[in-house]
Amino acid sequence: MWNDIKSFFTGKSSRDVAKGRLHLVLAHDRSGLEGGRLQEMRAEIAAVIAKYVPIDAEAVEIQIETRSRQTQLTVSSAIQPRNA
Amino acid sequence: MGRAIVITSGKGGVGKTTTTANLGAALAQLGHSVVLVDADIGLRNLDVVMGLENRIVYHVVDAIRGKCTLAKALIKDRRIENLWLLPASQTDDKDAVTPEDMRSLIFELKATHDFVLIDCPAGIEQGFKNAIAGADEAVVVATPEVSSIRDADRVVGLLAAADVPARLIVNRISAALVKRGDMLSQADVIEILALEMLGAVPLDDQVIATTNKGVPAVLEGKGLAAKELIRIAKKLAGHPVEDAESVGFFTRIGRALGLSASPA
Repeated sequence: MWNDIKSFFTGKSSRDVAKGRLHLVLAHDRSGLEGGRLQEMRAEIAAVIAKYVPIDAEAVEIQIETRSRQTQLTVSSAIQPRNA
Repeated sequence: MGRAIVITSGKGGVGKTTTTANLGAALAQLGHSVVLVDADIGLRNLDVVMGLENRIVYHVVDAIRGKCTLAKALIKDRRIENLWLLPASQTDDKDAVTPEDMRSLIFELKATHDFVLIDCPAGIEQGFKNAIAGADEAVVVATPEVSSIRDADRVVGLLAAADVPARLIVNRISAALVKRGDMLSQADVIEILALEMLGAVPLDDQVIATTNKGVPAVLEGKGLAAKELIRIAKKLAGHPVEDAESVGFFTRIGRALGLSASPA
């Protein structure tokens, strides 16, 4: 309960932060993809999508995540309305 | 034919050698014949953790090179029946032996002992490859820290590629820190590494004190860590064990009243 009170005031516990960092770092380690390279890939993918549908290239999100030893790459992008 | 189990971690300083010494002593106490192999050539430590450093005449490299028989290189622990140590060489380096050398050495030891526990050096280079070469299974030791878990994950991947099934020991866990939100719990570590869990050894001053004396903590039987290590040894050997979650009567009452730490 003390934990709940503390995280209510201070945000995440160091345990939660460690967990989040591990999920990310392991996803990078397991895929052999450095964080900086991931951002380069994001920009390239955004450019490809923009060739086909109207999107805000800056708003394209890329995420790499590991759960139960499976690493998943997710790219998400909102498509802008045609008459915008 | 015995079983060869490598104790490994990737990262150094997480308690591989202490875990090896204690699991070996506990298995011997349970009546199994056990040989501990120090595979950390050039940086041997299992001898001092076991308190057998003054009795070394020959070592693993001598045995492999035929300078002595394998039996001659084994040091018998006089405190317990059925426990031997095969020390590493302190003057050679990791490429003094090959994975093939280790494979045939471990095979030979398995013929005469129930358990061959191999203390793996830190890292994932030659020494690691030598240490896992003859192993049938692995115990990965990790402390609840980002760096240790990251390295453990790397090792788990390498073990899977080498077809060595692995199980996990979380070492030096503090229930108080977990409760405070300042330490990863054993459940967190399992979730991240997705490995079968053998046990979680609590952070315990007794281990430091007994290691100072060159006595595995399980031989003195004192402390929570020793208790858990004995439980893990039983589990390894397939003896019936009580559930890791099972706790003392008063703790249970305390928990029911919301007074003490819930299981980490």
